[in-house]
This record gives sequence, C-alpha cells and structure tokens, in this order.
Amino acid sequence: MRGAIVGAALIMGLLVLAVLPHRDPLAPDIDHGLTAVGAPLPPSADSPLGTDHLGRDVWARVCAGAGTSLEIATLSTLLALLLGLAVGLTAGYAGGAVDNALMRLVDLVLAFPFLLLAILLAALLREANLASSNGPVVLTLGVVGWTTIARVIRGKTLSLARSEYVTAARALGGSPWRIIVRHVLPNVAGIVIVVAALGFAQNLLAESVLSYLGLGPPPPAPTWGRMLYEGRVYYRTAPWLSIAPGIAIVTAVVGFNLLGEGLRDLLDPRARGPKARPR
Amino acid sequence: MKRLLLILIAAACSAPDRGPHWRAGTSTTPHDGGTLRFSTKDTLRTLDPAIAYDDVSPPILHAIFDTLVDYEPARAGDPTSGLAIVPRLAERWEIAPDGRTYHFWLRAGIAYEDGKPIVAADFKTSLERVLGMPDSPFGQYLTPLDGAADVIAGKATTCAGIEVIGDRELVFHLANPDATFLYVLAMTFSAPLRADHLAAVGDQMYRHPLASGPYMLESWDEGQRIMLRRNPHYVDPARAHLARIEMLESIPSDTQFLMFERGELDTAERLTSPDTLWLREQPAWQPFVHDRATMNAYGIRMNVRVKPFDDRRVRQALNYALDKQHAVKLLNGGAVPSHGLLPPGMFGRDDTLAPYPHDPAKARALLSEAGYPHGFDVDYVTINDEEAEKLAASYQADFGEVGVRTHITILSVPAFASAIGRPDGPPFSYDGWVGDFPDPANFLDVRFHSRMIANENSNNVSFYANPELDALLDRARAETDRAARAAMYHRAERILYDDAPWVWDFHRAMTEVTQPYVRGYEPHPVWGRDYTSTWLDDKVPR
Repeated sequence: MRGAIVGAALIMGLLVLAVLPHRDPLAPDIDHGLTAVGAPLPPSADSPLGTDHLGRDVWARVCAGAGTSLEIATLSTLLALLLGLAVGLTAGYAGGAVDNALMRLVDLVLAFPFLLLAILLAALLREANLASSNGPVVLTLGVVGWTTIARVIRGKTLSLARSEYVTAARALGGSPWRIIVRHVLPNVAGIVIVVAALGFAQNLLAESVLSYLGLGPPPPAPTWGRMLYEGRVYYRTAPWLSIAPGIAIVTAVVGFNLLGEGLRDLLDPRARGPKARPR
Repeated sequence: MKRLLLILIAAACSAPDRGPHWRAGTSTTPHDGGTLRFSTKDTLRTLDPAIAYDDVSPPILHAIFDTLVDYEPARAGDPTSGLAIVPRLAERWEIAPDGRTYHFWLRAGIAYEDGKPIVAADFKTSLERVLGMPDSPFGQYLTPLDGAADVIAGKATTCAGIEVIGDRELVFHLANPDATFLYVLAMTFSAPLRADHLAAVGDQMYRHPLASGPYMLESWDEGQRIMLRRNPHYVDPARAHLARIEMLESIPSDTQFLMFERGELDTAERLTSPDTLWLREQPAWQPFVHDRATMNAYGIRMNVRVKPFDDRRVRQALNYALDKQHAVKLLNGGAVPSHGLLPPGMFGRDDTLAPYPHDPAKARALLSEAGYPHGFDVDYVTINDEEAEKLAASYQADFGEVGVRTHITILSVPAFASAIGRPDGPPFSYDGWVGDFPDPANFLDVRFHSRMIANENSNNVSFYANPELDALLDRARAETDRAARAAMYHRAERILYDDAPWVWDFHRAMTEVTQPYVRGYEPHPVWGRDYTSTWLDDKVPR
C-alpha cells in the first residue's frame, strides 16, 4: 500500500515534469549552449542539468522526454491491452479448440525473445513511413506486449466461465457477447488494471531500449533512451548527459512497478499474478 | 560491506593517471624494428591500387606501392610542407618546354618484394591496365596521355602516349599540356606492376599486391587486421625503419581511443568529439597531438537545375544565412570557415576572398527578391555520421532563422553517394570533396566543370554548367606559366563564390595523437596517415 502511494507520487512527478514550462528542447543553441571549444556546459543556475552536445538544455529535454515516454508507454499499453483482452476473453470464454489455437499463438509470440522481436518490428516499421514519429514504436511495443495480458485474462476468464452466475446468465439466454461484457469483464477489471500498470513500466523501459539502439522516434525527438545514447560517449567530460536521463528512466520504471504491485495488493489480494520481470 | 565501500570511495577519489604511460623518446638516431599499430573504424576493401579509392587504404597502399614521383614528407610546425614533388622510383625527369613530353630516368637498384628489378615497361603495364579496366575510377586521370582515350574506349590495348626506352627510361607524350600530370603520376594507381604477377594472380589482385615500396603484405585477415612487413629489397632505408605495420579494422572511434590510452595502439586519429575535448585538456598529452590542415572542403551542395536552387539569389541567401562559426565550434575548433572549394595554402586560392558573412537580414532580403518572402520547405539529406548529423541540426537552426524550413533525412554512405550523383536525386545535401592532389584542377574541375556532369555517379553533383567557367578551367589546366595559371584560378574562385553552387562552410583539419615513443611522424597533407618515415623509440615508463 505504501509502495502504491510512493509509486503514484513518482508518476505524478513525471506528469508534472511533462507539462512543466521549459526551453525549446529541439533547437540547437551553439552560440550560448556550448563552451568556446564546443564542449557541453556543466549544470549551472541557468541550465540546472547542463547542456548537451548541441547546446540544448538537458533539463528541457528531460521534461520533453517525459512527455514522449509517457505518450508512447500509454498508447502502446492501451494497444496491448486491447489485443490482450480480445484474445484472452475469447480464448477463456470459448474454451476448447479456440482456446487451444489462440494460446498456441500466444506461445508462438512468447517463444521469441521480447527484445529481439521488438527490434525486428521496430526496424521494419521504421521503413513504413507512418504519419506520427512515435507510431512505429507504439505499434511495436503494442504488438509485442499483448501476450502476457492475454494469458492472465484467459486464466481468470476460464474460471469465471465455469462460475455459477455465468451458468445462470447462460441459462437465462444471455448472448456470449452480453455475458462477457456484463459478467466477465467487470470481474477481470481488477487484474487488468494491475497487469496494465506493470506493462506500462515495461513499455517505458522498452521504449528507452529501442531509442538507445536508434530504433525509437527519430532525432531530434527528445527521448530518454536517445539522450542516454548520445551522452554515453561524453562519460568523461560531461557525465550529466548520461546521469540525467538515466535517473529519469529508473524513477519512472520504479514508479510504475510500485504502483502496479500496490494496486494488485489492493484490488486482488489473493492473486499470484506475474510481476513485471525483465525479459 | 563497510570495507568494500571504503575501497570504492578510495578508488573514486584517487585520480587515475591521465597522461601517457611512457616518456617522450630521446634517441637522436632512428631505431629500426618494432611494430606500429593503428586502427580504422571501417574495413579495407581492396589492395589493388587500380581500384582503391577511399579514405581507409592510403596509409597501407602508400607503404606498399612506390611511384615515379611522390610528395616530400610533412615537417612539424610547417603547415605548408608536404606538397612539393620529389623523385621516388624516378631518379630525375625533364619536361619539354611545350609541356607535352615528360621524360623519366629510373633510379638504379630498385626492386620488387621478390627481388626482381623494377623496369620502365612495368609502368606501362600498370597504367594500361588502369585504362583498360572499366571499374577503375582512375582512367579519367590519364586522359591527357596520347591515345589514352582509345584504350578506355576499348579501341586499343596499348597506349601510344607511353614510350618505353630500354629498362630505365620512360617517356610520356601528352595530347595537350597539362599542369596536373606530375601529380597524377604520384597517385598510387601509377605504381609499377609486373605483367607476369598480374597474370599469376588473375582476379585476386585485390589481396595479392606486388610491393614496390618500403613495406609488403605479410597477412590480411579481411575485415579484422592487416599486417605489413619491411620489404627486404627496398632501396631507401630511411623510409623503412619499422619491422611491421599493423592496422586493425572495424574498431569504433571511441574504442580506438580507449585502446590507444591503454597502449594497445600507437596512434589514434578521427577521435570522437568528447575524446578530442578530453585530450585537449590534458597537458601531458599536448606534445604528442599533431594537427594538420588537409586538402578538403565541406558544405552543402545544391542542384542548381532544381527549384528553388536555380535562382542564384536563393543560393546566396543560404550562404548568408549560415553561421560558419557554428561548424567550427561543433568540430571543436578543428575546422576553418571557407569561401570556396580550395583549402588554405593551396596554389591558385584567392586569399583576398572572405567567407560569406553571417547576415540573416540580407538573406531574408535576397529570398524576398527571389520570390520567397516566407521562405520555403526543403529536405536536407546527409549521412549517418556523428559530425554530419550535428552539422545538420545546426544548419536546420540557421536556415530556420531566415524562414527556410529544413527537414533532415539521414542515409547510409553508399545510398547517399548514389542518390546525390543523379540529376533527379535530392537537390539539397551534405557534400565534401577531399583532394587527390594539391592542385585546383582536382577540386574545381571535378565538382564544377560541365564535362563532369553524368546521369549516374556524377562528379559535378551541383549539375552546374557555366561555359565561362569551363573555358577558364580548361585554359588554366593547360597553362604552363604558374603566375598566369594562379590568376585564372583566382577568377574561377570569384565566379564560383558569386554563383554559389554550394553553401560554402569549412575546411576540416586532421588531428592525430601518437604515443610518446613514436618518432619521425607528422600527418601528411595529401596522404593523411603516412608511416613510411616513422620509427619507434625505446619505451621508457613514466
């Protein structure tokens, strides 16, 4: 419970960061943001986290990066949730051959190492020229991340489908659609929220990983992973370039994990659901 | 746990040794022996001098192949040194007063790595091979020779303009006087090759070079490592002090510097920006940092046939919009602003021309005049390279200031090269030209003469055609009077400055750091890394 509060506080902080007014995170400022020989400026009163290799304010980029990261993590989690719910509910409620087929599909996707699949998809989607610069990453993480959600929901649905009130609803002539929406869905809602919160943390981390590998939103978009990548070569002369986005990533991931676990304790005390483990 | 913490704190506090591991060498006479180790971030593609045309191979190929003439070595502290032509395999030469006949006498005692003598006919063999090879980029350099065009066209197999007299004399007959011909003979593809060697290796020439220079190939693990060793039959001991030269391939720039610091490499070049910044702050390293202006120019090239770049006012406006100090700063001071293609110190450069000043107001006025009062949107194409991407971001900001909204596209180097060499390719892109030899003809003719326009792999990537400039460049190339020639190139520079087919930005300098025991080394303005006169002193720990 305490964890959930801490987690929620961290996430609130992140949201505040994202809407906080700051300088332009995209425009290079070569005249004022670099030393005479072109080195990044260390933290100062003017730029609290220093500047990067193009003279851009690191604080502004961390703030803007919070927005990017939250947007990508939210949209990709929603996408994964949608897919996971559809597959999980169908498989769990229908059972039998449908269940078997769908779960084998889940196994198939899970058989691929998460990151490898994400890198492959991200590389393919980058060529697709989607309208939004965040689109490829959102799609990638959504398509790769739905399997765990589907599995958890399917398990819960399976037991609910055999419960007395579902049998009763069926006996009264309720259509499967009505039964799923009215009787099953409200009962899996708790677990869905928990799984979503944990998935959120994972997608946030995965977005940073993809950005670090150069498969995230294209530059100059401010993302923490990209900042980490661009700053890593400066570890000796300008360590703030790696420390700032590093702390931001850790804070955000810890925040969502704490919130997710807290919510699980709150909503489903007996659940032994999966924690967000690094895959 | 507490003790571990203390150790960690102690480790964090004790400043690691930042300077070199060794003391500066003090020997007064050169030592023989030892292996000089360096690395490249790319891979070496070929050792065939008729094919190799890249920036990875020169330190290796120049060590393996000698030519009739070469450049003098560069001297520390003398920025203009290294450009004079000196004899190498030739003992002496005479140029006829009409500038059309070049008579060479070969040096006595010259031999290949297998001990067989180098004879005049071998030069003819090698040059005719280049002319007859469709995939050699160097045939065009030999077109001044009588009959060369026929060999290129496949109408002849021997080149009438190359006359062999006995084993020691070689005469070149040119169709027209050409002031650049001596430089062409200093290019590595002009090195002698024996017909029986070429026949024996067939299509494997790319990994079976026949050394005429101070070093020969010992082993090459392609993509990993190449090892050269001293050519025992080489005549000039002052150019072969090292026992071996080793080049590691595919080493990323930041890894290169870590290896150098650990003493695993003897020299490091093309340092990343943070490594350069760090190095400049270390007083102990300063005596071993070598800076040298090399022959190049970088900027933005525009296809002058395409709107809006067909309007000279637009091109000038972009020149005024660019703040050239930005590139200088982003490259950590390793560049000087340019007014044209010819680098400082080069013959024919008009030093009275100053780079376009940074004047956004004037840029906006010119854009309005040209009918773009609100600017325009344009794609800027560049290569995936740390420096090029930084410059792109800076250009975007500078041009944005005058209303030109730039969108950046990043391409891999091969995709980039083929895209900008087509008239229908991206009209606005990064460009650079690195000279093959220190003569304006190699810069201005290649990039701006209309005969260099092609539909594929065009060298004139601006697709700029100006009859006045063409005539001027042709006359300058054939001019034998040096002062008159310089005046013509001054005029050509002025035309290009005003017509602005490029957004002129900067000339890049080269920075290399060597271990303190590396002696007799100075980066060369033409060859870049040239270790043929280098020797290794005793390693005295600091």
